[in-house]
Amino acid sequence: MNIIEIKDLSFSYQDEVDALSNVTLSVKKGEWVSVLGHNGSGKSTLSKLIIGLLKADSGEIKVDGVILNEESVHDIRRKIGIVFQNPDNQFVGVTVEDDIAFGMENLCFEQSDIVDKIKEYAEKVSMSEYLKKEPHALSGGQKQRVAIAGILAMKTDIIIFDEATSMLDPKGRESIMNYIKEINKAGVTVITITHDMKEAVLSDRIIILKEGRVIACGDTNDILNDKETLNSSNLELLLPLKLQYLLDEANLSNDKVKDILWQLSLNK
Amino acid sequence: MKNIIIGQYLPGTSFLYKMDPRSKIIALMILMISTFILKDVTHILIMLGVVLLILKIGGIPIVRIARGLKPIMILLLFTFTFQIIFIKTGNLIFDTELTLTVFTLPLMIFIILFWYLTRRYIKFKFLYLLITAFGILTMLSLYTPGSVLSSSTLEVYGDGLSGAFFIMVRLIIIVTLSTILTLTTKPTDLNLGLEKILKPLSIIRINAEEIAMIISIALRYIPTLLDEANKIMLAQASRGVDFTEGKFKDKVMQIISLLVPMFIISFKRSDDLANAMEARSFVPGKRRTRLHTLSWHNLDTTVIVFCIFIFISAITVRVMF
Repeated sequence: MNIIEIKDLSFSYQDEVDALSNVTLSVKKGEWVSVLGHNGSGKSTLSKLIIGLLKADSGEIKVDGVILNEESVHDIRRKIGIVFQNPDNQFVGVTVEDDIAFGMENLCFEQSDIVDKIKEYAEKVSMSEYLKKEPHALSGGQKQRVAIAGILAMKTDIIIFDEATSMLDPKGRESIMNYIKEINKAGVTVITITHDMKEAVLSDRIIILKEGRVIACGDTNDILNDKETLNSSNLELLLPLKLQYLLDEANLSNDKVKDILWQLSLNK
Repeated sequence: MKNIIIGQYLPGTSFLYKMDPRSKIIALMILMISTFILKDVTHILIMLGVVLLILKIGGIPIVRIARGLKPIMILLLFTFTFQIIFIKTGNLIFDTELTLTVFTLPLMIFIILFWYLTRRYIKFKFLYLLITAFGILTMLSLYTPGSVLSSSTLEVYGDGLSGAFFIMVRLIIIVTLSTILTLTTKPTDLNLGLEKILKPLSIIRINAEEIAMIISIALRYIPTLLDEANKIMLAQASRGVDFTEGKFKDKVMQIISLLVPMFIISFKRSDDLANAMEARSFVPGKRRTRLHTLSWHNLDTTVIVFCIFIFISAITVRVMF
């Protein structure tokens, strides 16, 4: 069952070239989809359109069977949570607990319920000791974990990670990726928006955007085998992938393999 | 920049900390009004005694209050001087002839210049100013060689002196009271208290919740923006901008080079933040539940009753005497 269906979606910022043109895609319930694309490919624009922060020029977005429009936008936002790129710019509360509570306060949860949920979800992202801390005492990874807890507490069906790891150090990135895996396992539909193929290969399905168009869409394995599309997408390919392609091309003599490995390790 | 403390909250456990921020704000207002009602030196001194008693029971060190009074020192001095010079009723306490001669005029200018140049090296700047001013006055009244340029009399009257004293005490009480509030209440609690008190203003279409939200976000972003400003200053300094030295004109240019990127960053941030808030179902003006709620205890009622008692006494005293 498709939880998100997008048909012929186009969008352009004021008198610029189309950020998105005729995008059609769908996301199944419970799956983990990566939207992969270069800077300026329109992937963040797509996430803002889905959650109704931007208004599409044409096309249609359906979330859980409901068409996104001015009346339904608030209901749809209850179903979708989004973790943004900059950990600092999405921290609304004065302290960690305030920030986790923010979404629940907006949804008018009971106060006692909010208190319980803060404990529960802070535990889930291992931030229990930091509940009274202020954001400037936290690392980027910790702030992103707080953002995740805040959204988990709102019990949304879908969570979009809009380059949520791109401003973090490798350690923070790894922990966030682990939480994403866990969240997806628990049955939440996850959409990760990224330019990093290393993150994208973890998901079930990959959608590749280039200059506002979907150039590929399919199961992760199929996409990885589609050499031509990947090469044309301007994305930085993973080392094993590069190796595989080069080995495919070459006649597999031992010397040749050595030569290829040598060149790759020199990053040529 | 990891340990910026906004406001001047001083951790403690006395009754002032146990009170609801709403009752503290209301009590502050009642006491302030009572202070303004009083018109007599003895009564205002009793009021000062009450305030000192609150400080004593509340366990707030006088040093912190003195620090709060520092910024209004100049104002205090100004009102004091103003009162002494211009009130000419009551009995004459003290008078002296101030004479400006061809010798003392340049001498006076020299002293002022000396004060201006050396004051940055003196630790007790305010005391230094007082001593200098007193020195000039003494010189003008005692030392009168050469031909006289102008002269006037300085007269200090009883009413002037008591009036000056009265206004000074009143200002000190007002500032002390508000300092007590900010010392014992966290900015977030203060904000929440204000929000609840201002709630009736929704009748005239002022949304207290929105104002409180704006204040709380401002509080939350002050450290972040200071951090940002620090980074920009370092970046500029690494390219040769010197923020500490230079002429006034240069300094203005340097401030502009800091302000422009700060503005751009703030707008970018606020745009992102607005998106993040909306994405988390925030709708301005819509009803929200709150994590933090306030609870009114017997202590709050007691304090308010006490303050009302002071208020009534102040009115009685004003009417009777």
